[in-house]
Amino acid sequence: MADSTSKKLDFQLYVITGTNYHPGRSMIDVIEQALIGGADIVQLRDKTASKQDIRENAHKLRQLTRRYGVPLIINDHIDIALEAEADGVHLGQDDLSLAEARRLLGPDRIIGISTHSIEQGLAAQAGGADYIGVGPVYPTGTKPGRAAVTTSYVQEAAEQIRIPFVAIGGITLGNVDTVIAAGASRVCAVSEIVGADDPAAVCRAFKARLHAAAPQRSEVQADDFAGTGVIVNGVAQRTTARTVWELICQHRLEDRRVVVELDGEIVVREEWSCTPIHEGAAVELVHFVGGG
Amino acid sequence: MDKMAQHPIEIYEAVQDEAAFEDRYSRQLRFGPIGSAGQDRLRSARVLVVGTGALGASLAQHMTRAGVGVVRLADRDYVEPSNLQRQMLFDEEDARSATPKAVAAARKLKRMNGGVRIEAHVVDVSKRTLGYLLAGVDLVLDGTDNAATRLALSDACFSLGIPLVYGGVTASEGMSAALIPGRTACLRCLIGDSAADDGTDTCDTVGVISPAVEFVASLQAAEALKWLSGNREAMRGTWVTADIWTFRVRELKLPGGRSRCACCGTGASTADNRLRQDDKPAIEAAVMCGRDSVQVTLGEAIALDVVRPLLEERGCTLTVNPYLTKAELPDGKRLVLFSDGRVLVQGTSDAGEAIRLCTDMLQPHREGESIVG
Repeated sequence: MADSTSKKLDFQLYVITGTNYHPGRSMIDVIEQALIGGADIVQLRDKTASKQDIRENAHKLRQLTRRYGVPLIINDHIDIALEAEADGVHLGQDDLSLAEARRLLGPDRIIGISTHSIEQGLAAQAGGADYIGVGPVYPTGTKPGRAAVTTSYVQEAAEQIRIPFVAIGGITLGNVDTVIAAGASRVCAVSEIVGADDPAAVCRAFKARLHAAAPQRSEVQADDFAGTGVIVNGVAQRTTARTVWELICQHRLEDRRVVVELDGEIVVREEWSCTPIHEGAAVELVHFVGGG
Repeated sequence: MDKMAQHPIEIYEAVQDEAAFEDRYSRQLRFGPIGSAGQDRLRSARVLVVGTGALGASLAQHMTRAGVGVVRLADRDYVEPSNLQRQMLFDEEDARSATPKAVAAARKLKRMNGGVRIEAHVVDVSKRTLGYLLAGVDLVLDGTDNAATRLALSDACFSLGIPLVYGGVTASEGMSAALIPGRTACLRCLIGDSAADDGTDTCDTVGVISPAVEFVASLQAAEALKWLSGNREAMRGTWVTADIWTFRVRELKLPGGRSRCACCGTGASTADNRLRQDDKPAIEAAVMCGRDSVQVTLGEAIALDVVRPLLEERGCTLTVNPYLTKAELPDGKRLVLFSDGRVLVQGTSDAGEAIRLCTDMLQPHREGESIVG
């Protein structure tokens, strides 16, 4: 697609939901942690929930991902993707055809296709997919019974596929270096991230491996992907916010009376939008106390 | 004071201390930074305490006991049973008689220190009344319970060059900062003026415990004593935020005035007194957040003795004291009428309904008027 770059497909770390991996914790909390850790794109996938539940989750994830400036992809459900204003859909080989999906979604939305061989990958590319999934690289509990394609398909994809491809399936911090070495510059993980006690930390570790393997990227770009490391109310996190105002918006405080302290001094409200957030910034967001 | 007040005022003049009380300030005099020079300064100082609720009552008590020459109290409200848990100057009898808070507070304060002039102003503190209340004042202590009044206070104080010591408290949390024209930014620059108050926690939604009140009032009173006793270099210069339940205390450095701000900036003109520019519309209504009440300002004085019979005829049960008339309507709603033209309408959060109730209930008879059209 000629406009694929305008669809913000400059991602490295792709995260997919998997509520069965984090019983007792909400999907929104877990995905927010992943976003704080640096996830670049999020897919809502749920093969067992009711359509109504999926719809509700899509709306919630849409709000969340907007705050972090990250694309949201919906697995399978084109109608829900349209209704929730998601950035696109992801389809399997057995789902609706790429051509029909494109007709329903129009030219501007992202369509990703799962592929399990170089033939399928080339077909998806020719058919107008914006990206493809390459996998499962390793056997995975997310897709039980599907034979692993191993890193040999990753190698083939790196050589022959010209649209973004993301390696997926059983990828962990323990094997990601092998996947990267085979030619992947984008990876996706599910259980390793959303099943972790600290999804943000796992995402940061993935991003560090991907960065280390991509020295040809300019420093500026690498920094963009990583976000800025800041401490907000004592908690270390990464943010894509470039100014105090953007950080306030990401925390949904733009309509609230809050006092903002940056590195020990209060920032007056008028200067929020022109005060940059720098690496290592210590920010305190304090709700104005009005009783008396 | 440049114009006559239209609201009820009670003034207790300072009287000479009896000989038996000559040791009244002995412990404060022995405190090095104050000493006798500081005590003399306190005696000649005038302080305005805005709001005489939880913070305000405590602040007024600190100022009165410390011997500040004039303690001016301003509050629009009257004492209710729900105040007694934390508003230290009030008792059950004040709540039974629905005595205005400023008046009830002044009576107690007078018994604590007859050497202080205590003024009780039963008044809604707004842009319209601040010019009068701020006349001759050296420092303002904030005991209000809402951001709008605080912003009006900040504007007025910065335009007149008067320090404002902010304090706020809800639940077990509190904040305080001394906002000083020429030194710090004004409140408007810090918290903004357009943000919605919706969703801001208030004492009416999340409650408040009295130790949190006293903690914040102590922070405010200490800054006031420094300023008024001549220890101005000792001012803290920070915005303190604290939770006394979990016990966290944090200080944030206050920035200086903004050059572009009309209130605290270098270009701010104190001659431009914006207090008297606003033309008051005939009737104003302010919904009192979280309290199921609306304050209606009628724009003209209410002759309470004239409206009482009307209210009784219209089925209201009245509670009367020299400052206000409380009318309970047959449907349970209440109108609390003050002679300065204010009516607190309790039992609704709808400004339109509140105005309609006031105009209906206070409408005079029109004798001889025909219903035939």
